[in-house]
Amino acid sequence: MHRRNFIKNSSLLSAGILSRPDFLFKEDPLLGHGKKRYHLNTKWSKADVARNPVKDCHEMVQDSKGRIILLTNETKNNVLIYDKGGKLLGSWGSEYPGAHGLTLFNENGMDVLFICDNNRHQVIKTTLEGKVLLVLDYPKETGQYSKAEEYVPTETAIAPNGDIYVADGYGKDFIIRYDSTGRYISHFGGKGTESKHLSNAHGICVDQRNPQQPCLIVTSRQQNAFKRYTPDGIYIDTIPLPGAWVCRPVIKGDYLYAAVLQTNTQQGKQSGFVTILDKDLKVVSNLGGSEPQYVDHKLEEMYQTVKYFQYPHDVCVDDEENLYIAQWNSGKVYPYKLSPVI
Amino acid sequence: MKQLIFSFPIFLIVAICKGQMPEQLAPPLLKYKSVYFKKSANVELKFAQQGTQIYYTLNDQTPTVKDKLYRKPIQISKSFTTLKAMVAGEGFIPSEIVTATFIKDGLSIQSILQTPASERFQGSGPNTLIDNEGGLPAIGSKSWLGYQHDSVEIKVVMEGKQKLTSVLINCLQDHGSWVFLPEQIRVYQFDESKQLFELVGERLGHVNGNIPGAFCVPIQITLLKKITTSKIKIVIRGIKSLPEWHPGKGQQGWLFIDEVKLY
Repeated sequence: MHRRNFIKNSSLLSAGILSRPDFLFKEDPLLGHGKKRYHLNTKWSKADVARNPVKDCHEMVQDSKGRIILLTNETKNNVLIYDKGGKLLGSWGSEYPGAHGLTLFNENGMDVLFICDNNRHQVIKTTLEGKVLLVLDYPKETGQYSKAEEYVPTETAIAPNGDIYVADGYGKDFIIRYDSTGRYISHFGGKGTESKHLSNAHGICVDQRNPQQPCLIVTSRQQNAFKRYTPDGIYIDTIPLPGAWVCRPVIKGDYLYAAVLQTNTQQGKQSGFVTILDKDLKVVSNLGGSEPQYVDHKLEEMYQTVKYFQYPHDVCVDDEENLYIAQWNSGKVYPYKLSPVI
Repeated sequence: MKQLIFSFPIFLIVAICKGQMPEQLAPPLLKYKSVYFKKSANVELKFAQQGTQIYYTLNDQTPTVKDKLYRKPIQISKSFTTLKAMVAGEGFIPSEIVTATFIKDGLSIQSILQTPASERFQGSGPNTLIDNEGGLPAIGSKSWLGYQHDSVEIKVVMEGKQKLTSVLINCLQDHGSWVFLPEQIRVYQFDESKQLFELVGERLGHVNGNIPGAFCVPIQITLLKKITTSKIKIVIRGIKSLPEWHPGKGQQGWLFIDEVKLY
């Protein structure tokens, strides 16, 4: 797209015609590969920065009414609620200075949110309006923690029966399982050198694409990988994603989407992109990243190609297959929207 | 290529007039096993995006579209060769530059013994500093010894007495990960007659403000005089207190080293 417009622009300029700037750059950039390609819209959010600022935009979800909910660590409004067109419908929350993980669960017909707060060392369950329903403190029942500061939860995943899995991704990398009332059941993962161990367990989700064998997919970000476990926490296998500091896995339909915060070789240099895996857990498209290549069934190292994103932190997929990308440490930028090429 | 040189400024002008900057390309992927080599090093550059090209230099100059166009893996055999590469393409701002310095093996080292590294960053084991592996600017790569100590001591035994003029220590700089270059490196030779270590070289470092990203920095210490010895000691002092501008200000920084070479 850029190239075509560029040729058009060059010829207009050389002919001295600049009176029709609307012709220039009319289309949004096109990102991705194969069947998973998207138009990028960086101006999706219509929020007023003076009234509703953001800091790090950490995670986003869509509720049953189709609204898009954003979690930020800006305590003027930790939660921003949008329609799909980017219009701000409401906001709440000033008590989540370390707001990081946001998961939505439909509990007996009612949407509830689970917020992981890095600074408070807690997981907080709320209504969509912000009323607190449950607070999970540091999991001393595991016998692995002596004080709250050792526990820095980054993500939750909720099983269909309401069991809560918490990933301690910035703490000791354990996954802690509770029942729906918050009663401790078990824990697994943790730091170490075996395959079952994790390094920066930043995200977690429940994968029910194979109903006979549901499993958990957990991020091991510093290892550039996802790891699969049974619902009871038995390690199954590792899905290597060479070069990619992958954030939480997000499943919609047959596909798994994940923000890649940065690449291994360009750390600290806004080198992020977005990756998409099919149901066989093969990378099929990278938005702003290199075309996935498998040599002898092994994925080649992935890298950023165009700086469309700085540090993507989460992907939300809505009911129309649009993507919303929340970014960390990216100049307090609001989320971007990507619309699929049909 | 001529078309590219001509057209890029026009593209930029048009884009700025429209109030919309074009996107910037990301730098190419540098692929090499190690920056250390015995005879030669093989370097591959990768960037799979239609309509773009990789340009590079080997003379320490900043590459432009007038420099060498990358077509096939590059073989480097001259020590301290610095490869600099970038990507350019129609409709995009050229990428930032990636760089790597390739270093030829030095004098033969028989054994090395160093202060034990942090449990998290043990490199490839006790011989990490003489295994000819490394030079990858990522704290996660298995070539680094990581320390959060006041000072690190390294004792090197050479294969018999050898003439020595300089010592090289490869360090990592990654301010975002709290990894800083050393404040001081001192080199001592073992005086057999006196049975003690004598100072033969020193290099001081200082923090030059906040630099984003991760880089390998080979630090060379030229000795005060040419010496002949079989044993040396290197004492490296890391940054004790992170600077005011850093999120971890006042706390102890990390020191990362992955290779020692003697010349």
